[in-house]
Amino acid sequence: MTNKVSRRVFGAGALATGLIGTSSLPSFAQGDPKRGGTLVATWGGGEPQACYVPAGGGSSPTFSSSKLFERLGNRRMDGVFEGELAESWKPAADFQSYTVKLRKGVKFHDGKDMTSADVVFSIDEIWKKYAAASALTDYVGVEAPDAETVVVKFSKPVPEFFFSSLLCGSVNYIVPKHVYAGSDPITNPANNAPIATGPWKFKEWVRGSHFEYVKNEAYWRPGFPYMDRLIIRYVRDPAGRAAAMEAGEIQIGVFNPVAPPDIKRLVATGKFVATPKGYEEGVWSTSFEVNMRNPIFAKREVRQAMFHAIDRSMIAKTVYYGYARPGTGPVFSPNKEFFTPDTYKTVYDPKKAAALLDAAGYPKKGDGKRFTLNLLAAGWFTENGKIGAIVKQGLEDVGVGINLTVPDRPTSIKRIYSDYDFDVAISNQANPSEPVPSTTQYYTSDGIKKGVPFRNASGFHTPEVDALVEKIKVETDPAKRKAMVVEFQKITTLEASNLPLLELESITVASVKVQNHSNDPNYLAASWYDIWLAS
Amino acid sequence: MTGAGSSRRMAALKLLRRRLIQAVPLMLGVVVINFVLIHLAPGSFLELMTAENQVSDPATIALLRKTYGLEDPTWLQLLKYIWALLHFDFGFSYRQNMPVIDAILLNLPATILLMVSSIALALAVGVAAGVVASMKVRTFWDTIVSVAAMFFFAAPSFWLGIMMIVLFAVKLGWLPVGGMATIGGTGGSIAGGAGGILDILHHLILPTLALGLFYAAIYTRVMRSSMLEVAQLDFVRTARAKGLSRNQVTVHHVLRNALLPVVTILGVQMGTVLAGSVVIESVFSWPGVGSLLFDSVSSRNYPVVLGIMVLGSLVVITANIAVDLVYMWLDPRIEIR
Repeated sequence: MTNKVSRRVFGAGALATGLIGTSSLPSFAQGDPKRGGTLVATWGGGEPQACYVPAGGGSSPTFSSSKLFERLGNRRMDGVFEGELAESWKPAADFQSYTVKLRKGVKFHDGKDMTSADVVFSIDEIWKKYAAASALTDYVGVEAPDAETVVVKFSKPVPEFFFSSLLCGSVNYIVPKHVYAGSDPITNPANNAPIATGPWKFKEWVRGSHFEYVKNEAYWRPGFPYMDRLIIRYVRDPAGRAAAMEAGEIQIGVFNPVAPPDIKRLVATGKFVATPKGYEEGVWSTSFEVNMRNPIFAKREVRQAMFHAIDRSMIAKTVYYGYARPGTGPVFSPNKEFFTPDTYKTVYDPKKAAALLDAAGYPKKGDGKRFTLNLLAAGWFTENGKIGAIVKQGLEDVGVGINLTVPDRPTSIKRIYSDYDFDVAISNQANPSEPVPSTTQYYTSDGIKKGVPFRNASGFHTPEVDALVEKIKVETDPAKRKAMVVEFQKITTLEASNLPLLELESITVASVKVQNHSNDPNYLAASWYDIWLAS
Repeated sequence: MTGAGSSRRMAALKLLRRRLIQAVPLMLGVVVINFVLIHLAPGSFLELMTAENQVSDPATIALLRKTYGLEDPTWLQLLKYIWALLHFDFGFSYRQNMPVIDAILLNLPATILLMVSSIALALAVGVAAGVVASMKVRTFWDTIVSVAAMFFFAAPSFWLGIMMIVLFAVKLGWLPVGGMATIGGTGGSIAGGAGGILDILHHLILPTLALGLFYAAIYTRVMRSSMLEVAQLDFVRTARAKGLSRNQVTVHHVLRNALLPVVTILGVQMGTVLAGSVVIESVFSWPGVGSLLFDSVSSRNYPVVLGIMVLGSLVVITANIAVDLVYMWLDPRIEIR
């Protein structure tokens, strides 16, 4: 077997929740695809800092760049890894190197051939330094025996699922060496007018308004894309996005483009569909992190009590209008590869929370409080502030005083990830199926990187977890590896240093005319090569 | 040229010179206050930039600090900034990857267009409605004007904007939801000829109404009371006694003098119109300086925020000097010190 690592069905669980009615199922291609036309798309966020950010830079540049750039591999909705710019990849017997066969006849938008030199450059200069630095800790180097082959070498065995996931990483693109060599990739002007291999070619960026992409006539997939033009339009206000969709100015919006009440209203018109499909490989969560540097949290019971005091079902209903579900552990429930529900249950139980705090030696004092904590709700999502208010209420009900602050994005990043200036924090994480390092880095000592956001800010680490993660990294037997990840989930859930309060249900809203959408487990970062508009 | 005309011109030039000299310390104060306030805010653009680019290497961070001049003490950064400003260098925007002035100039035409059209609308509607209300005082028309003025004064501009989008863009389909031009269309620019200009004007209607009607409401109320006040003055009575028609008296004697308070407010409100455009540009996805400012504050893009603050202050100061000059032109009796 080469690239077919696993088979799993994504999305069934999300659809089965019944949150989205049958009338809101995505429309898939029926009949012959219609060619030509312009598709106008948007997403539930703002304009990116650059069209392409080599280090990722968040969802916004990922959305804009993924229509232009391509990866070596891609993961399908059924869980199968398939080649994109690579035709196949195969591990050596010791799993310390992988031979990747590249697709022939792929050209960059400027007409130059994509070769192994571009792949070597991308891995060495972009992935290793920016896009996948934390995943390539055991990377040794990459060789190109010929123009259509590269051999990626590691100092330790690398599991096949890990390597395949690496090739499919959302911003692990193949960039043109002739454009980026000898420059600083972060400031290269091509980041604002990329040259890549994807189905769409960059035409124009009208700042504050939109990107305009046109069909790549020389695309390596014959006959694709169907449409002539793709516009990515930015509308800052969700109400404005809803109005633009209703007025027919925008046909599809990914990643919660409109407010939850508007989703139901738009679907009710019969002109739109809404679907949670297309987010299985990047499930978002609202996380609750405790700062282990505060001696109050030295006892595990105190950390567990925090979670038992919070009514997560109420948050899902009132803050997310049902488009969320309580989280259970660090690996999220849509992850059929590694998820286990068999962990410590941090369910809402105020009495248990109070008992745990009493047992930990923190009885209520005369003022009714056991101790007071600073709760920081990261203000990059408005929902976090609302959740903060509910968390405050829940914790105060069990005698924990709370000083709640909801700083804006830069201040939140600084206080949580640079200054560690919080006792408990409400933040967000988005984890792909492969748990190393995206998930594990929140619980290991090497994940504690002061100043680097979305790492181990809680400061939790134990020799046991560190050793277990090291084993997960190098275990090449899928069954043994899964057992280790299950063990990891059990330990980290019991320790309760950083757990998801909720798993969020991201939604795509599209006109019923839009065909072949939401057909990738990371649809925001998919190339949309096969999308088309019915008459 | 008459002696009186020459004397007025000299007085105007003297006033202009005095105001320009006064503007220098004023601008310096604006720069210093804005610079200090921005640097007092928690979180820096460097932290956000390294966060977004996942940069954790201390050597790289130190290099970036040096590149952006952040290793200097704040007072030295301020002095360097003022020195650079004197050479019309507003710094470099890491986020747009271009000089700050280029980033601002890219967005400035859209904001100027929105401001000019909104102020023009506000003046035209406000003055006309104020005159009508004062001439038909305590009648049905006066009541209509007063109620409308109260409504548009009380309604938040973002709410008004959204309601207008729902009515005129979504329900009636007459006007576009947002943006400055039809995306992907052949028009949408001056270079697009008449079609392009018409396309921009088509997109301009709703944001202009949303921003301009608030100020129109203010001008209406001010104009009405000013007209009524001036109409009671002796020279108006004299004009009527001389046998001039009602319209002649209103236009040539009352209106011109009643405009003075409106002109005063106009000068003061240049800054608030600019601030209001931040909200309106967000609602209508208007690609102007307001949108740039919003993004820059969110991303702690200090050089751009400072650049916009400085240029905005310059606009307000210039507008106030212009108001002083218009004052002198409107009422020769006025001598501004």
